[in-house]
Amino acid sequence: MNRNDIAFARFHPTVLFFYFFCLILFTVFTQNPVLLLSALCGGILFCAVTNTAKKNLAAAKLYVPMFLLVSMTNPIFSHSGATPLFFMNDNPVTLEALLCGVDLAVQVCAVMLICGAFSRVMESDKLLALFGKLSPRLATVLSMALRFIPLLKRKWGEICEAQRALGYFREESFFDRIASYARVFSALVTWALESSVDTAASMSARGYELAGKKHFSLFRFTRGDGIMLALTTALSAVTLFGILLGKADFDFYPRISEINTDIFAIITYAAFGTLALLPFIFEVKEALKWKYLRSKI
Amino acid sequence: MEILALENLSFRYPAEEKDTLSHISLSIEEGDFCVLCGTSGCGKTTLMKLIKRELAPHGTLSGEIRFCGKAQGELSARESAADIGYVLQNPEAQIVTDKVWHELSFGLENLGCGTEYIRLRIGEMANYFGIAHMFREGTSHLSGGQKQLLSLAAVMAMSPKLLLLDEPTSQLDPIAAADFIGTLKKLNRELGTTIIIAEHRLEELLPIADKVAVLENGALAAFGTPQKVCRELGGTPIFAGFPTAARIWQKLGGTGEAPLTVREGRKFLEQRVKIASLSEKTNAKNEKNTLTEQKSTPALTLAEVFFRYEKSAPDILRGASLSLREGEFFCLLGANGAGKTTVLRAAAGLAKPYKGKIKAHGKKTVLLPQNVQNVFIKSTVREDIEDMLAIYGAKKDEIGEKAFSLAEKLGVTHLLGKHPYDLSGGEAQKCALAKVLAASPDILLLDEPTKAIDPAAKRELAHIVRELCRGGVAVLAVTHDVEFAAENADRCALFFDGEILAPAAPQIFFSANNFYTTAASRISRGILENAVTESDVLRLLEVAK
Repeated sequence: MNRNDIAFARFHPTVLFFYFFCLILFTVFTQNPVLLLSALCGGILFCAVTNTAKKNLAAAKLYVPMFLLVSMTNPIFSHSGATPLFFMNDNPVTLEALLCGVDLAVQVCAVMLICGAFSRVMESDKLLALFGKLSPRLATVLSMALRFIPLLKRKWGEICEAQRALGYFREESFFDRIASYARVFSALVTWALESSVDTAASMSARGYELAGKKHFSLFRFTRGDGIMLALTTALSAVTLFGILLGKADFDFYPRISEINTDIFAIITYAAFGTLALLPFIFEVKEALKWKYLRSKI
Repeated sequence: MEILALENLSFRYPAEEKDTLSHISLSIEEGDFCVLCGTSGCGKTTLMKLIKRELAPHGTLSGEIRFCGKAQGELSARESAADIGYVLQNPEAQIVTDKVWHELSFGLENLGCGTEYIRLRIGEMANYFGIAHMFREGTSHLSGGQKQLLSLAAVMAMSPKLLLLDEPTSQLDPIAAADFIGTLKKLNRELGTTIIIAEHRLEELLPIADKVAVLENGALAAFGTPQKVCRELGGTPIFAGFPTAARIWQKLGGTGEAPLTVREGRKFLEQRVKIASLSEKTNAKNEKNTLTEQKSTPALTLAEVFFRYEKSAPDILRGASLSLREGEFFCLLGANGAGKTTVLRAAAGLAKPYKGKIKAHGKKTVLLPQNVQNVFIKSTVREDIEDMLAIYGAKKDEIGEKAFSLAEKLGVTHLLGKHPYDLSGGEAQKCALAKVLAASPDILLLDEPTKAIDPAAKRELAHIVRELCRGGVAVLAVTHDVEFAAENADRCALFFDGEILAPAAPQIFFSANNFYTTAASRISRGILENAVTESDVLRLLEVAK
């Protein structure tokens, strides 16, 4: 699936950044299994609806073994906990350590999935639009760097090919080849410096040195962005309030604490669950909208 | 109204002993389209940069530059940045940002314009310059022509009163160059933007210019309307870059208005032929083609070659066949992106065909790439040539001498100590050729050899290639330059749809083509037979007398 096809990615960069910032913050700083499971669900579901089946399968091949590995590691090294299940090399393997490992694995996978979603939703333009608000000059420098990477890659290929056509790189010896690459690299650096002289000229010719530079980006803050921002803020505030009140406290050692089920705790879970599932819900809503529109046409 | 005035302008670089520019006075009116020409190293770029204050080189300056009636020093930084636009030669290096829209907005951001204003302006620019379809694309995906158009659009977004362009089309193929010049004409005619363009390819520029300024060794050799300059400069070396029609007119001793376009050239030639009262049409076919058929030992053979980059990609070469003979100069012409370069890559062994055979008959093949800079990987030209000699097994004590004699052969001994990146287009090409020839190849492959060099360098290149061919080297060049091919090649062919079509002597090849042919051929079509170069036309009329 193309980036442009992710409906959630069409929100304003500020909204997206704020959303992911809140979500990742809560996921990293809680141990509560209910919160972590909802974060994981949100991550998996969003991944599932925005990726092709092939990519999902590839992701599963990475995440499942990692999940198992992290869950197993904790009980092997941590021997705290009051309920020993069995002994391994005279060390107790406890129920608490096992469940704590599973909890940790859920957390790691959730954070990785959310970060993955973040990087797919926030392309370079969006990051630039964000940084541009802080400093227009910083944004320009970042944009120049982003332009330079593909340029260097291509130039490297061009020089290598030109040299190959002249008979370089035909040496069998490994060290000779390294030496040839080193020469190409030094030519590449020289070229980069040379061409940056022209780039600098082009910049100052267009008034880069003028005072009062402003930042421009193509992103508009729409009503939909406002609604999403408000929703994210409200849900995050409720979650934060619940966590600060200790409604989501959870300990594995020495004994596993009970999951809090009073009304405030349930509100906290619901708020965070909605927050974590927002991208998925939005994605499904948009997909249904298209289906409906198409059937009308 | 006068927009720019130079009064007695002289300039000297800090370490130099003589002035780079001396006593230049000229005046440009608002809405003028002015062409600045001269051989490379005549001071064109220095003059252009002095007019744009931000880019002015260090050195001692005397005289005055006035823009819109104000001395240059009195302009505010904003005025100077926004009112004078500058487009550089290199399409790659002058693009600053990673996205097309961001490049368009860059100047306006610097001016501190508001978001809504910028949005409207860049939308307008993208539409006007026909780049709306790539508005959100990365700048690295664009072709050279598109990059240059983007640079122009990005400068025009700041709505400058005066637009300076320093050889903007020298890195472009003729079609992209003609497109670019067409856009400039449109800007000048529709928006009234004053344009000063430094260029040495004048075939398309001169007919639309209002004024021409010719620099020679830093002094103004001529300044005025194209007609006036044609009359004054006819026959001088700089005239070699002028339109074919004007050159023929001058050589035939024409008087009155000089013809600048093909249409005017045809009119002039028709009159001339009438005066000379030719009883029958003359034919320019000569012994040249029979000559090439004698040397028929093949040096390189391509037999039904098929090539594609990936399994699912379309074929680039689709049964391309070619037989290159020893001592022959073969030019392969064709449109951009058609895959001409792929033919060379295949011949050099860089692209492996999936069907068909390429035989070099045990001969050594080297390829000079389009961007000759890529050939150099050392810090001086001498080191580069010596390195190449060493790779091809020259003895240690002979290397220095051999490098020198190669440089002598190509006339670059004075450049041996220079850094390859400090050379001009023509110089870089000769030095690159010296390095390539250090391999003493039997087959030389050239990719767009006439790109980015001026007419004088082009003549030298032709001479070098001739010498090589006389020594038995087979040269295969892919080029857009129909004039160069017509004047110098033994055989030409068209590359189209993955095939090499109709290889024939230039006279036959170009007189068979209606559009893809030289200006001389278009001027003389139907008046003279098979005349494809300026000298063909002249010869026929001489004979007729």
